[in-house]
Amino acid sequence: MALDPDKRRQRSERLAELLARTALSNQQAFAELYRETSSHLYAVALRILRESGAAEEVLQESFVNIWHHAGSYVAAKSQPLTWMTSIVRNRCLDQMRRREVDTVTIDDEEPGMMLADDRPGPMEMLLSSADALAVKSCVERLEAGQKQAIALAFYQGLSHSELASHLRQPLGTVKSWVRRGLERLKACLDGAGLKR
Amino acid sequence: MNYLEPERLDALAAQYVLGTLSRAARERLARLASGNETVAAALRAWETRLLPLAESLPPIAPPERVWPAILDRIQGQRESGSMWANLGLWRGLTLAGFATAMALAVVLLTPRPETPIETLVVVLAGQDARPALLVSADRSGRTLTVKAIAPVPPVADRVLQLWALPEQGNPRSLGLIPATGAASSVMRLDLPASVGLALQNIPALAVSLEPQGGSPTGLPTGPVLYSGPIQRLY
Repeated sequence: MALDPDKRRQRSERLAELLARTALSNQQAFAELYRETSSHLYAVALRILRESGAAEEVLQESFVNIWHHAGSYVAAKSQPLTWMTSIVRNRCLDQMRRREVDTVTIDDEEPGMMLADDRPGPMEMLLSSADALAVKSCVERLEAGQKQAIALAFYQGLSHSELASHLRQPLGTVKSWVRRGLERLKACLDGAGLKR
Repeated sequence: MNYLEPERLDALAAQYVLGTLSRAARERLARLASGNETVAAALRAWETRLLPLAESLPPIAPPERVWPAILDRIQGQRESGSMWANLGLWRGLTLAGFATAMALAVVLLTPRPETPIETLVVVLAGQDARPALLVSADRSGRTLTVKAIAPVPPVADRVLQLWALPEQGNPRSLGLIPATGAASSVMRLDLPASVGLALQNIPALAVSLEPQGGSPTGLPTGPVLYSGPIQRLY
């Protein structure tokens, strides 16, 4: 979905319109909204949850939620796809953090398997989306550890302790990579006037 | 620990959106955000920064069973029939509107049944099905009369916009309604054509909350506060 700025704007306007019509309980608009965004949102959920059944369920719950709360979407405050993605991601992350409490041992192999399969890894994705959004220079300014920790946390929903175990680094190191990485990313993105 | 200290809040919001906060911290921040616009805005700012990164994921089509399952879940509030008859908001509302329209019909028609006026009545109600606005008009005239039958609380920098909802296609703006906050205030909206013509084939009206001056896109952008079916008398 590497879209140029014009196409992104057009898509956003179109999705905002579909959301507005969904808020009026227009089922056709809602069906169209689903057609246009479900593959993207399903991919987001599947990456984090790593289980198709759980991802399906989150997708289903998220769209039911979108149907009921489309009226609370405010176009002036966020992009429609960002708003929808946050609904899906928050559900996934809530689930991941709950699982953590249930299972104390962390399966170190699974994220590794994800990296080894033929799909692009988190690092490649971080760079390709950065490219698409013209913030490549911001991401490139991050140090290797920061980049890696942020990519794994963002795309696979790893917690600090999971990151530490996956990257075989002390917890404190990983925490500071994440914190510093986010600070630098913010300074760079805001400084470049790419806030929105 | 003060969550609202700006730097602290910013760091927490960043970790929330990235996903690295612990379960307890996530839940705390989400709770705070639901009642505090500063916290909500901090989360939105980080969503705007980070979530576009998700766009680079190769899309994966979900299994086909997901969509029917979603429809099943939202169908609880709908009845079969045309698209607008399916409006989730309307269950119960249609009945309320119908009852009110009938009551009005009696009032309107009793004094001079020999010269019926072609009228139109719409009871607009919120999600709680409580009537809030009454729109009425002589269909041969060009004026819609909008009467607040319950206090409509004014929202700073926002106006109410009235929409015609066609069977097919996009809602059409009928004009802005200043929210006075008072019950029983009456406003008049002038239409460019006769009411009968302007609302021909329009089964329902709705009111959304919009920025000053009305929706910038020509379509509803804010939440839909009220809606109701049009009742045509004669």
